[in-house]
Amino acid sequence: MKTKKGFVLRSLGREFILVAEGLEAADVNKLISMNESAAFLWKSVEGKEFDANTLIALLMEEYGITREVAEKDVTSLLETWKRADIIN
Amino acid sequence: MAYLCTKFSPMKRVYQVAGHRFAVVMPDNHLAWSEMKPYEPFLTDNDSDLVFSAEMIDVMPDTTDKQKVTVSCEGPDMPRVELYDWQGQWLLEIAPLLEAPVRAYLITDKSFHMCQFRILGSMRFSLNTIIMLMFAFTTAQKDTLLMHSSVTVKGGRAYLFLGKSGTGKSTHSQLWLDNIEGCELLNDDNPVLRVMDDGSVHVFGSPWSGKTACYRNVDYPVGAIVDLHQAKVNSIRRQSLLEAYVSLYVSYSGYRFIKEMADGLHVSAEKIVGTVPCYTLDCLPNADAACLCYNTVAQ
Repeated sequence: MKTKKGFVLRSLGREFILVAEGLEAADVNKLISMNESAAFLWKSVEGKEFDANTLIALLMEEYGITREVAEKDVTSLLETWKRADIIN
Repeated sequence: MAYLCTKFSPMKRVYQVAGHRFAVVMPDNHLAWSEMKPYEPFLTDNDSDLVFSAEMIDVMPDTTDKQKVTVSCEGPDMPRVELYDWQGQWLLEIAPLLEAPVRAYLITDKSFHMCQFRILGSMRFSLNTIIMLMFAFTTAQKDTLLMHSSVTVKGGRAYLFLGKSGTGKSTHSQLWLDNIEGCELLNDDNPVLRVMDDGSVHVFGSPWSGKTACYRNVDYPVGAIVDLHQAKVNSIRRQSLLEAYVSLYVSYSGYRFIKEMADGLHVSAEKIVGTVPCYTLDCLPNADAACLCYNTVAQ
């Protein structure tokens, strides 16, 4: 899968927000809040081809967590991203 | 020979809105000047450091080789702005409604410092749209947001009411004026928010006030920003940083696909939501809503 084009990740205090700023974005008023780890993953795979394993490996390396925990986080994150229609 | 030169001599006037100066150049005898009355409180003699200069032209160049970039229109009753890339410049074609014919053209270099415009009709609408667009474009990186809102002043502080078109921003301002002593209207449609050098946030009156003739060249520190939503019961709550950012985000002008502009707008919005208390008000159009709002935000 791949991140959709037209989004920009912005920081807001200690939070992050993904904003549809590009001409490619269908809904220009779409904003999606992200926590720090989701923002880290988005930045890491933005514009590249990736799958669940890519994200799991990134989480394990960055946060030193077990595969089991990382898998659980990534499964729920990917559901959120699909629902928000920001990956395809 | 002299009369040939003086017949249509161009006249330049400089205006200052929220501390930003811009020039408008049109033939001195042109009818369009009579539509510039709302700008008169903002006239200045100082013509240094202009953010842009806008000059009226009589004849449009041939733009048939233009390339469409995007169209923006927020609804059938809202203005339509088509943006084209034309020979390395931006060309904007402006209409008062989604389905209406083009009434104005604006050609600007991509840094937005110089622009030329041609108006076919809907004179006041066309002039205002051209000048507001140029103002929003050229101040986006200067701690400035042109905010779609109604603003009321009470006790030396200004309160901004945001909301989609038709939510009742003007109505809510009027309810403050009618029910809370010592209130005055600052602007009813498009005031200017600015982060000042000392970090405080001020709101400035502007020549753009919608249907209400309220063109005041004054500014006040902002007491609160309130996002209005129609509801069956009045209630108010403080917004999180993220909620406040979203409320602002949908209320200010600019082309976000131009990266420098989007970055500038983000920086201003981030500073503002970090400084000014922001609220969501669910409300009816009644006096209780105004009193609840005032008693909560003006503490």
